[in-house]
Amino acid sequence: MATTTVKTETFVGKRIRRREDPRLITGTATYVEDVQMPGMHYAVILRSPHAAARIRSIDTKQAVAAPGVVCVFTGKDIKGVGAVPCGIAMPDLRVPPHTILATDRVYFVGHPIAVVVARDRYLARDAADLIEVDYQVLPAVADPEKALAKVVKQRIVSQRLVPMAMETRGVVAEWHGADRQLNLYTSTQIPHLVRTLVAGMLGLEENRMRVIAPEVGGGFGSKLNVYAEEALTGYVSMKIQKPVKWIESRRENFTCTIHGRGHVDFYEIAAKRDGTILGIKLKLIQDVGAYHQLLTPLIPQLSVLMMPGLYNTQNIRADIVGVFTNCVPTDAYRGAGRPEATHGIERMVDMLAAELQMDPAEIRLKNFVTKDKFPYPTATGLVYDSGDYATPLKKALDLVGYHKLRQEQADARKQSKYMGIGISTYGEICAIGPSPATPAGGWESATVKIEPSGKVTIMTGACPHGQGEETTFAQIAADELGVGLDDILVLRGDTAVVQYGIGTFGSRATAVGGSALYYALQDLKAKIKKFGAMLLESEDVTLTGGKVICNKTGNSKSLQEIAGATYRALKLPPNTEPGLMATRFWEPPNFTFPFGAHIVVTDIDGETGQIKIRRYVAVDDCGNILNPLIVDGQVHGGVAQGLGQALWEQAVYDDNGQLITGELMDYAVPRSHMMPWIESHHTCTPSPVNPLGVKGVGEAGTIGCSPAVVNSVVDALSPLGVRHIDMPLTPEKIWKLLATKN
Amino acid sequence: MKISGSYVLPIAPERAYQILQDPAILAQAMPGCESLEKIGPDEYGMKMKVLLAALSGQFEGRVRITDQSPPSSFRLIVEGSGRIGFLKGEGLLRLSPAATIRVLSAAPSEAPSTVVSYEGDAQVGGTMAAVGQRLIDGTAKMMIKKFFDKLASLASLPASP
Repeated sequence: MATTTVKTETFVGKRIRRREDPRLITGTATYVEDVQMPGMHYAVILRSPHAAARIRSIDTKQAVAAPGVVCVFTGKDIKGVGAVPCGIAMPDLRVPPHTILATDRVYFVGHPIAVVVARDRYLARDAADLIEVDYQVLPAVADPEKALAKVVKQRIVSQRLVPMAMETRGVVAEWHGADRQLNLYTSTQIPHLVRTLVAGMLGLEENRMRVIAPEVGGGFGSKLNVYAEEALTGYVSMKIQKPVKWIESRRENFTCTIHGRGHVDFYEIAAKRDGTILGIKLKLIQDVGAYHQLLTPLIPQLSVLMMPGLYNTQNIRADIVGVFTNCVPTDAYRGAGRPEATHGIERMVDMLAAELQMDPAEIRLKNFVTKDKFPYPTATGLVYDSGDYATPLKKALDLVGYHKLRQEQADARKQSKYMGIGISTYGEICAIGPSPATPAGGWESATVKIEPSGKVTIMTGACPHGQGEETTFAQIAADELGVGLDDILVLRGDTAVVQYGIGTFGSRATAVGGSALYYALQDLKAKIKKFGAMLLESEDVTLTGGKVICNKTGNSKSLQEIAGATYRALKLPPNTEPGLMATRFWEPPNFTFPFGAHIVVTDIDGETGQIKIRRYVAVDDCGNILNPLIVDGQVHGGVAQGLGQALWEQAVYDDNGQLITGELMDYAVPRSHMMPWIESHHTCTPSPVNPLGVKGVGEAGTIGCSPAVVNSVVDALSPLGVRHIDMPLTPEKIWKLLATKN
Repeated sequence: MKISGSYVLPIAPERAYQILQDPAILAQAMPGCESLEKIGPDEYGMKMKVLLAALSGQFEGRVRITDQSPPSSFRLIVEGSGRIGFLKGEGLLRLSPAATIRVLSAAPSEAPSTVVSYEGDAQVGGTMAAVGQRLIDGTAKMMIKKFFDKLASLASLPASP
């Protein structure tokens, strides 16, 4: 029998390599597309090429007769399937009925119309082209501002972005009619919520459905949703009694997986002459898209909650206007509402500094909520848990050599060179979140089972998909139990294995799911000590280094021996059950509020408008750090996506609602060679709201990045009278600006 | 997408006007045209193959001619759709005699010729719009040029009886 490693070495806080990486870098991970089953059928979805149209008729005769085709379903054929859900309830919120296939109207390019099922996916694809749809094309609205009147103070746009997970979405549905059991493999961040909601849509008992999220190749919020295709693939499998696979193509991904951002914001900021911020006003226009997806109406609310930023002001006013457009719905994308708010606030603070001729660092330091004010209640109804905002900014200023850079900039300006220094000091709302503040419960669960051999199995309700919790959760458990990392297995993403869970999003997996794990481990430790004490016949025992030791005699029992005894159950301590397993559902008392300062130094080529990032200094405070390697990885990934928004990416619909950036040649996702060197540093202000003292770091990079970049470029061009530039800051945009201003 | 331009045909406006509405000649001149048949007064059914970089597909559509004012102008309305998307366009063609020309080969300078200028608006949707956006402008220009080049060469042939 294998022995459990007994170690006194600790793991939390160390740069432990990710345990999930070997399978990812050797190409042996199993994604939905890798799931193969005997008798598999393939579904291809016909989608609307029009942004707005009435469907006069759909003729599927030729498609049905095409080689290899088993069946074709249109919206009229689908009976008894519920609407695609919106999880947000608000008074007067208009939620248009969102059927899984269009019936008589289409509302965006990519709107699903029919599904073709064949034994071969290419035959299904060919047959889809044989479906004749008679459209009466209607005028489309693609620009949310067109429907509205204008007030201008500073208009700041957070453009629509495509979340662009490397793995597109995909579903495999496997119906076992005799057992009345539906297995659904789907690339999701929230398997349990998908099960509850899709079972509801299909009219299936929840316990007759098993949802498996195998390896998930990136989500960034785009897979924090319940999609029509999940119910549709399940429906088709139930109808034809065969396993059915649908894999989203990259082109489909552009047009029918949610987009992020899509804000037009109008900000006003008021301050005293000395720079003290008095209040911030916002009118937020949210491009909703054609429907409310699961969390669409929540996202702009997160922006408003985040409006005070790190600043001590109790005067906040916000109006949200959600506008339906003939575009794919917007929803959560890395940061979800908070990058938009941070971008607006941090741009406004820079404009205020310019107006008052103050240094942008100085105005921030003047307005920060000070260290002694925590817990700090904001005007938006939040209570910031802990904070020390000046420290990361001062650290970043030191690291970048701020004062020297300002001198260098003054010299550069004399030579008509464009050099900019941009600061953003961001806050965020993480560890989402206390249940009363979330639509579906904000707790998380963990089960820890110590097997008879002493090996440790963790089942987490969080569904990590790239965040590295298979490693960090093992670190937590290894330290608590005194075992090695290799003794621990972390299971996730399968509703038949995991008790129940909320999922991974909103920088919550470690802060909430890790805390549930921590408490489950405490329960187990108590039980281990009880059994150890019984076996050692002593009340005075300590659990350390994977052993229970009698403090008097020094005799000990290993975790393996104790685990064996709990299952063998020859003798039990009083009022104690056999076995060694504990489950906790942990409800966080509050969100956490990480923060930090990013400073970006740019040089702009006056001839071409090309922006070069000379320095990128990030000082993030995410509370205690369990694994610095993973934290840095999260910051790097976040900054990459922040830079994408700041400099390159934009989902563009033309006036007719056609997405004209529908592939990777036209949609500029940053490649590795476009990335600057990121100098990632930290300060540590533990969160008092969870036992690990962690705050979350998944979205920090994205939130801190875009205003720092834009502030830097505006700073570089400020001698030309430039006050604001909307993202993305493409060389073309900068070159045109230089051409007009010079 | 706005489309505009002009082309000089080495024939008189009356003849140019006539061949610009002759389905048999148009079918030969239009790049990728597989068939063009009269389906009603001033209305034609059309099948054509479109090639846009890596995208290719058959289009089926209709061409209508309105606002006829021979020999100086008419309006062309085109609608088509296929597996790679759809296109809709409308344009005004104006024909005017060009006094003297120096075209191509050794055409005699006193030969009659016509300036065809066109101005219109086209909408493209579906996969073509999503994937081929950057190429649509160039492809449209190229197709128009090919069309007129071919038309010019067909026009120099003796008129069919």
